[in-house]
Amino acid sequence: MAIAAESARPHHTLWGDAFVRLRRNRLAVVGAVLIISLALASIIVPLISPYEFDEQNLNAVLEGPSHAHLLGTDGLGRDVFTRLFYGARTSLAVGIFVQLIVLAIGLPIGALAGYAGGRVDNLLMRFVDIVYAFPDLLLIILIRAILGGSIYMIFLAIGLVAWVNVARLVRGQILTLKQRDFATAARAMGGSGPYITVRHLLPNSLGPIIVLITFGIPRAIFAEAALSYIGIGVKPPTPSWGTMIYNGYQNIFGAPYLVVFPAIAVGILMLAFTFLGDGLRDALDPRERR
Amino acid sequence: MSTLLEVRDLSTHFHTQDGVVKAVEHASYEVDRGEVIALVGESGCGKTVSALSIVRLIQDPPGKIVSGQVNFNGTDLLKLPRQAIRKVRGSQIAMIFQEPMTSLNPVLTIRRQMTEALEIHRGMKSQEALDEAIRLLERVGITEAERRVKDYPHKFSGGMRQRVMMAMAISCQPQLIIADEPTTAVDVTIQAQLLEMLHNITKDLDTAIILITHNLGIVARYARRVYVMYAGRIVETGSAEDVYHDPRHPYTVGLIASVPRLDEPRTARLVPIEGQPPDLIAPPLGCPFHPRCSRVQNQCKEGAYELIEVAPGHYTSCRIAGKD
Amino acid sequence: MLKYSLNRLFWIVLVLIAVAFITFSLMHLVPGGPWDREKELAPQVIENLNKKYGLDKPYFVQFGSYMWNVLQGDLGVSYSYQDRGVTEILLDGLPKTATLGGVAFLIAILIGVPLGMAAALKQNSIIDYIAVFFSTLFASIPGFVLGIFLVLIFSVSLHLLPTGGWGTIDHVIMPAFALAALPAAYIARVTRASMLDVLRQDYIRTARAKGLAEYVVLVRHTLRNALIPVMTVIGPELAFLITGSVVIESVFSIPGTGRLFVQGIAQRDYGLIMGTTLFYAFIIAVANYVVDVLYGVVDPRIRYD
Repeated sequence: MAIAAESARPHHTLWGDAFVRLRRNRLAVVGAVLIISLALASIIVPLISPYEFDEQNLNAVLEGPSHAHLLGTDGLGRDVFTRLFYGARTSLAVGIFVQLIVLAIGLPIGALAGYAGGRVDNLLMRFVDIVYAFPDLLLIILIRAILGGSIYMIFLAIGLVAWVNVARLVRGQILTLKQRDFATAARAMGGSGPYITVRHLLPNSLGPIIVLITFGIPRAIFAEAALSYIGIGVKPPTPSWGTMIYNGYQNIFGAPYLVVFPAIAVGILMLAFTFLGDGLRDALDPRERR
Repeated sequence: MSTLLEVRDLSTHFHTQDGVVKAVEHASYEVDRGEVIALVGESGCGKTVSALSIVRLIQDPPGKIVSGQVNFNGTDLLKLPRQAIRKVRGSQIAMIFQEPMTSLNPVLTIRRQMTEALEIHRGMKSQEALDEAIRLLERVGITEAERRVKDYPHKFSGGMRQRVMMAMAISCQPQLIIADEPTTAVDVTIQAQLLEMLHNITKDLDTAIILITHNLGIVARYARRVYVMYAGRIVETGSAEDVYHDPRHPYTVGLIASVPRLDEPRTARLVPIEGQPPDLIAPPLGCPFHPRCSRVQNQCKEGAYELIEVAPGHYTSCRIAGKD
Repeated sequence: MLKYSLNRLFWIVLVLIAVAFITFSLMHLVPGGPWDREKELAPQVIENLNKKYGLDKPYFVQFGSYMWNVLQGDLGVSYSYQDRGVTEILLDGLPKTATLGGVAFLIAILIGVPLGMAAALKQNSIIDYIAVFFSTLFASIPGFVLGIFLVLIFSVSLHLLPTGGWGTIDHVIMPAFALAALPAAYIARVTRASMLDVLRQDYIRTARAKGLAEYVVLVRHTLRNALIPVMTVIGPELAFLITGSVVIESVFSIPGTGRLFVQGIAQRDYGLIMGTTLFYAFIIAVANYVVDVLYGVVDPRIRYD
C-alpha cells in the first residue's frame, strides 16, 4: 500500500489514485505544506532564535514587535516568537499523539464489536454510548484533574474521550464489509475471524478512518488549547498556544498582539488540517474513482 | 392515423470534464395517436436521453438539447416557456421510469404522490383526488387499495411500486406515455403481468406509448413500429415485422441474432456482436458502427448520416444494406 | 412510534445512571480531598466535616443516597459555597447559559440551513463558493479563538461592545456568534451536501416529470428528505453548544453554569463538579432524545411499526 510515485498515466491502485487526486486539490496541498512547514519550523527554532522559550527578561516586559523581538515579549519578558514556535511543538504533538491513542483504543474495540457481533458488540457499544453521553470537554477536564498536568497525561486525557468516534466508525465499516463477497470468500478459504478482520476488513476501511483521524487532529489541538485557556492545560513552563492566549488575555487592551499571534496560529493550524482532511476525504471517496 | 408526436433531428449533448458527450445525434421518430412504438438499443445508446429530451427533463448543466424539434400536437415543445412545458408533463405526456425502488419519494405517502398530479392537472379537491387515487390503484391491480394508499413506498415491493408508477402515469389520462424500461428491474414473472396490464389500460384510453427497452421479446409482442438506436442515432426503423424478419442494418442483424431461440438446436452457439460500444465523446467517423461491422467498407468510414428507405416504411442508415 | 420513543427513553435513563456512577468514581480519584485549602485544616475538623457531609460512609452508600437525592431534584451540596446547594447554584447560572445556548442554536440554524440550501441550489456559483469557503473557515477555528478576535475587533478597536459580563443584548451578541460559528458552518456543509444528494435522486425526476412547479418540488419533495441527515447532525451540535459554552463563558466572563464548572474543578468542589456534570449530561441526553424522536417523525422509514 505504498503511495505510488508520480507518473503520466492515471493510477489504478486506490492509494496511487488517491494521491494523484489529492495533489490536484490545491487547498489540501496548501494545508499539507503549512503543516509541514510549521513542523519543520518548530524543530529548528532553537537554531533560528537566540532566546529560550522560558528565558525571562524583566527589563523588556510587554514590548511590541520589534527588531530584537520579532513578535514582541510577554508579561515576563519572554520572546513571543520563540514561544510561539515551541508552542507549535506542543500542538502538533497533541494532535498526533492523541490520535495514536485514539487508534490504539478505538480501532480494536470497534473491530471487535463489528466482527464479533451479538452480545460482545452490544456490550461494547453500550460502553461507547455511555462515554459518548458525557459532555466531552467536561470528561476531559475531569480526567485531567485526576491525571495531572504533564503533557503526556493531557494526551491521555483527551485520547480517553476521543476514541469513541473512531470505534463507532470502525465498527460500522466492519459491519458493512463483513457482508461483502470478498469477506465470505476469505471465510470459505478457511480464514478465521481475527485473521479476516486484520488482513481483509481493516485495510479496506482505512479510507474513512484516515479521514476521521485527520479531522480529529484539530479537535485534539482545540481541546488542549481550551484546557490551557481555562487554566488547566499543560503545566508551565511548557509553552502552549492556549496558555499563551490565557496569559495574554489579561493584557488584551494594552498588548493585543500577545493574544493575536497564538490565536492566529491555532486557527491556521486547524484550518490546514481541515483542508487536508477535506482533500483526503474527496481523494479517497470510491465514488469519484475513474 | 394522425401524428401525435414528431421528434425531428433531435440532438442532445452533455458537457463533462472529459469532453462533450453526444448522447443523441439527429434522432427522428414519430408516434401516432394510440400507437405503441419501441425504442430499442443497448445501454447507453441514447434512448433514455432522447425520451427525457421530449419533456425537457435534461439537467442543464451539464446537458443541453442542441438542435431539433419535438412537435406534439403541432406545437414544438422545445420552444415552450417553462410554465407551459410543466402543464404538458404529467397531464399530456406521462413517464414511467425504470427503477421502482428509487423513483418514489420515501417520505411521502402514496396518496400524496398520486393526488398531487390529480390536484394540479385535473383540478380535483382533496377527497375527490383520494377517491380517484384509490380507484387507480385498484385498476393497476393493487389489492386493499383503500388501506394501502396511506402507506409509504418502503412498504411496497418492486413490482407493486411499478404498478403505482403506472397508476400515476395514467392518472391524468395522458395522450402519450413514455415507458423507460418499465419492467427491467422487476422479477421476470411480474414483467409479463405489468406489460399486459399497461397494454390493456392504454388501449382503453387510446394512449400512445413509447416503449424504451433492450428486450426484443417485449418489442415483438407490443410494438407496432420499432426504432433501433446505436450511438445516439436511429440506425433502423420500420414496422415490427419488417425489422424482425428483414433486418437491414448490421447492428440490428447482430441484435436479433444474439437472442437465443428455442427453435434452434441446443448446440448452436450464441452469436455476440464483436467489439465495444463507441466512445460518445469522440465517436467513429462516418457510421458509428463501422469498427464492429462485419460488412464494413471504405465508404462507411466517412460521410454524413442519412436514413435510406429500403422498403415502404422501412428505413436504415446503412448505405450498403440500403443498396441491396 | 411509541415503542421507539419508550425504548430510547429507557436507554437514556440507564446511560445517565452510568454517567453518574462514573463521574462519582472519577471524582474520588482526583488527588487531594475536598477540604484542601491554602491553610491546612486540623484533622479533627476534617473528620467532622466528613461526617457532616456523609463522606465517611461506604462508597456505594454515598452513591446510593446521592442518586436518591438527585431523583428528587437535589443535586447535593457544594463544598465551597457552604450556604447553598448545588441545585441552587446551578439554577442561578442556568438562565444565562440557556440564553446563550439558545441564541447560538438559533443563529446556527438560521444561518446554516439557508446558506447550505442556497449553495446547493446555485451550485458552482459565487454563492456556492463563498458558502463553502466560509463554512470551511468557521468550521476550523475554535470558538474561543473566534471570540477573542471578536473582542479584539469590536471591543478593543471599535469600542462597540463590552468585553464580557452579562445583562444586556450587547453582552450576548459576541459570545453567541462565537459559539454558533462552528455549528453554523457544519450545518451549512451538511445541508448543502444533503440537498445536492437529494436533488440527484430519481424521485425528484419523477416529481418533475409529473409537471409539478419547481417550488413544490423543492419544498415538498426535496426539503424533507434533505433535512433528515441534517437532523442527525443537530443533536451532536447541540451537545457541542452546551459544552462549548464552558469555554466561551470563560472568555466573556459570563456567570453561567460553565464557568461554575471550571471554578468547581479549580476548587475541588466535588459536589459542584458532580452536579454540573450530571446536569450537562442530562441536558445533552434530553436534546439527543428530542432529536431522535423528531427524526422518527420526519423519516417514516425508521419507525418501528
